[in-house]
Amino acid sequence: MARYGMALDYKNCINCKACEVACKEENGVELGAEKHRIWVGGNNPDGQWPLLDIASAAFMPSQCQHCEDAPCQEVCPTNATYYDENHVVRVDSDKCILCSYCMNACPYDARYVDDRTMTVDKCTFCSDTRLARGETTTACQNTCPTKVRTFGDLDDPNSEISELLRTRDHFSLKAHLGTNPKLFYLT
Amino acid sequence: MQVEMSRRRFLQGGVAMSVVGGTTFSATNLFASHEESHGSVPTTITTKTSTGEAKEVPILCGMCVNKCAAFARVEDGVITKLNPNPYFPKSRNMLCPRGNAGIQTTYDPDRLKYPMIRIGKRGDGKYKRVTWDEAYDAIVNGTDKFKGLKQILDEEKDNRATVGYANGEGLSKEGFEVLIGQKMGTPNYVDEVSICLETAGGGFFSTIGTYPEIDFEHADYQIIAGANRAEAIITPDTMDMFKYTKGRGLKTICIDPRFTNTAAKSDKWLPINPGTDLAFVLALTWVVFKENLQNEKFMEKHGVGYEEYKQHILSHKYTPEWAEPICGIKAKEIYTIAREFMDAESPIYYPGRRSVFSPNDYQLRRAMAIFQALSGNMDKKGGYIFGNRGLLPAEYVKQPIYENTKERFDTEGIAFPTLKSGSWIVFRNMVLEGKNPYPVRAMLMRKHNPMMSVPNTTKTRAFLEKMDLNVVIDILPTDTAMLADVILPEASYLERMSPVKSYGFLEPSVVMRKAAIEPLFETKTPEVIFKELGEKLSKPLFEVSKKHDVALQELIKEKGEKVAFEEGGYNLAEPFEKPIEERNEEVITEVFGKKAWETINEKGVYYPHMEEYHKQLSPNDFQYYPKNKRKYTSRGDSLKIVCKNDSLTSGGIDAMPTWDDAWKFSVPKGEFRLITGRHAQFTQSGTQNNMMLRDLIPTNFVWINQREADKMGIKFGEKVEIKSDIGAIVLKAYPTEKIAPNQIFLLHGFGSESNGMEFAYGNGGNDATIIKDDIEPMYGASVMHSTNCKIRKV
Ligand code: SF4
Ligand code: SF4
Ligand code: SF4
Repeated sequence: MARYGMALDYKNCINCKACEVACKEENGVELGAEKHRIWVGGNNPDGQWPLLDIASAAFMPSQCQHCEDAPCQEVCPTNATYYDENHVVRVDSDKCILCSYCMNACPYDARYVDDRTMTVDKCTFCSDTRLARGETTTACQNTCPTKVRTFGDLDDPNSEISELLRTRDHFSLKAHLGTNPKLFYLT
Repeated sequence: MQVEMSRRRFLQGGVAMSVVGGTTFSATNLFASHEESHGSVPTTITTKTSTGEAKEVPILCGMCVNKCAAFARVEDGVITKLNPNPYFPKSRNMLCPRGNAGIQTTYDPDRLKYPMIRIGKRGDGKYKRVTWDEAYDAIVNGTDKFKGLKQILDEEKDNRATVGYANGEGLSKEGFEVLIGQKMGTPNYVDEVSICLETAGGGFFSTIGTYPEIDFEHADYQIIAGANRAEAIITPDTMDMFKYTKGRGLKTICIDPRFTNTAAKSDKWLPINPGTDLAFVLALTWVVFKENLQNEKFMEKHGVGYEEYKQHILSHKYTPEWAEPICGIKAKEIYTIAREFMDAESPIYYPGRRSVFSPNDYQLRRAMAIFQALSGNMDKKGGYIFGNRGLLPAEYVKQPIYENTKERFDTEGIAFPTLKSGSWIVFRNMVLEGKNPYPVRAMLMRKHNPMMSVPNTTKTRAFLEKMDLNVVIDILPTDTAMLADVILPEASYLERMSPVKSYGFLEPSVVMRKAAIEPLFETKTPEVIFKELGEKLSKPLFEVSKKHDVALQELIKEKGEKVAFEEGGYNLAEPFEKPIEERNEEVITEVFGKKAWETINEKGVYYPHMEEYHKQLSPNDFQYYPKNKRKYTSRGDSLKIVCKNDSLTSGGIDAMPTWDDAWKFSVPKGEFRLITGRHAQFTQSGTQNNMMLRDLIPTNFVWINQREADKMGIKFGEKVEIKSDIGAIVLKAYPTEKIAPNQIFLLHGFGSESNGMEFAYGNGGNDATIIKDDIEPMYGASVMHSTNCKIRKV
């Protein structure tokens, strides 16, 4: 029993996409450029060559935010989307009827359709692969060259993530929506 | 802050495209049939890892040059995942996207699966599947379609230099050099060095005695010019650097014509005119001398020709005002950067290994190294690190002497030709132009794809077509393989143990790659191929020497044939007789003892005191060596900074870095300068058929300035033709403000013409077909940024 979350030291991110590939290989995610559980967002820099605004070109890793109050879970008619014992938002593919309500409800665009199973898929925090084997990192955290990601138990005051959130400023995405994400962006 | 949060991929010249799903193990041609594998091949492209039994095998990544350490998770004989190995100081517990996608290279449906010999015309793709013995026999004796090495060398009276060979970077490269170079006896070797970073290595070596490592942990200011560490990943630099950028201790000035991901992580980005970095460094140096900002004591102690260099810079008036129009960087900025640099506690002018962009690259490297030295931040904490040497001794090979073998000839236009690997361009072009003093009749090529890597593909094709015999050893049917007479399929890096490798500098270690799985299909590991090929070649080629080599004839008279063969080193397979497992065990046990062998066998990494030093500090951080065990300073008084090198003038090279106005940047109206570079998700032509990486970079787009594109009516994704003096390619457009109006950028390594590679075939364009084969004067290394192009919408 834990309450898993992730802190992202996003200023380290170089947009290499190692995390995305590691996730796909670990979790057997379907191939295809649109089929990914995690991704890195960013913008082209504002301005015109040679005057470009560096700050506008930041890289922002994103994925399912594992909301404490998840709109996807609220709208799911078959309870395919559920919170597991570690507060990880999961999808039971046996129950998913691909109504796609959750995809529309999710403010973070975190869900996609797995064409092999014709069900909705998204980040699981490696719950049924790495965590199930007793490992303590997710595939994306483990592989990241610049160590952007720290995964851990928010309820454990001694965990690295709790320590980071105590000592570093951070924000959540679209905090005003009241979804209470468990992904935290460190500033 | 406004950040695009949508799952729509951020465009870096890559767009989301609908992509092949499912498996495509088609059996349409000889190159693509998946039957008869010796091992198991997964039936889905990505395999979810299970919670059941698994082996964890230490491997070294082979997807680029860095050799990151990893563990392969093997379930039921199938590699399901590659995880970073936390023991290797150099790779710092990470795998980049290519490293993660390595599984797809091993299980690539288009792998070369069995030996083949050509039965059609060169280039028409008609091959016959044969046994290994038949393939070796074809190399030695030829077929009705092509000649073998025995006949060629006999006709050439045992002049071994008539056989050329090539090998790209990798752990088994040295073995091939031993077999073909030292044992078989040809000096005509070309490799990646003269089409890559030759001047960077050479410039730094001849100026400060090493190509340094950087202690980013303790540095506080860096100029990173013409290097793109966020995308051209070099370990450990990439991992170290970006922990401290963005106001976290390492102020970073990025100098690059393009707005790269490195620029995005910097404090300041200054686009410079391509090929003018030398003027920028000379002007920085001028400011330092003019304002007396240098560490005079350090330079007086270590500098060679230091006073003369100072006078040289001042008297040439390399002022920022002089540099401004040349570089396109404001004089004011140059003053500021020079002052900030010298003001910083531990400033770094990042050495920035990359391919040679401009003809002055050797002198640029010299000027950079000297500029760094002016700060005194060298051979110490926070600076350029010289550190330890590697931990392993060199091996000795018994090398036969072939009396009739001539020297290499590829020296035209080169001041200081490198004997070992020469110049690809000069070697090829001299043969094509008939300037070779003796014929070159065969090319033996391993893990190297000159059809895509050496500028001017038309010439490379003509060169290879001239050969009586082309042999290719590789894992995929590359464009070069399609010109081979004999193709030997190699085991990929996940299917083989490789010779142990040692690393020096701050945190030295020895690493070893083990085989995660057995070689698939009928492939063999390089060392086994070397041994078998050596065995097959030894006697027949000895016969050729016996016939033509007077010195050998005398030796035989004196000692008898058997002794002459053995003692003369004519048994070419001899260095490979022991299997690689035994050789590795022997080397490690001999140098470090039995326990070390156990450690490296289990963990893939060994260094003295590893058990004591290696610690996990947090979920993300490891200590490899405690700080007090790192050798920040190792040269001490012996450190020399060669500001003036008079020996260079004998080759017509300036003794001190000097600007020549011929290097000024200009592009005719209506044309664009072609520049090249890297993204983090591909490695040259080596990853072009990798399905996972193709999702990330579907093709090589051409970057063109947004306003220029608007003027020409070119929109994103539209096809444009890019035409230089030597060729034309058609690419999709990526209009962006990240590039100057008179420049275009495209990725290298796309546009394969080999239909044996289902995904790479015809995807994008091969830049080697349009980049001119210009060379720089020092080593004859190819210059990549000297080509102008015209663009038109098609
Ligand atoms: S692996 Fe790390 S640095 Fe690379 S894109 Fe992912 S979060 Fe960013
Ligand atoms: S990010 Fe989207 S998918 Fe994830 S828990 Fe929140 S609403 Fe659900
Ligand atoms: S940098 Fe990437 S591709 Fe290169 S060796 Fe490391 S993991 Fe492999």
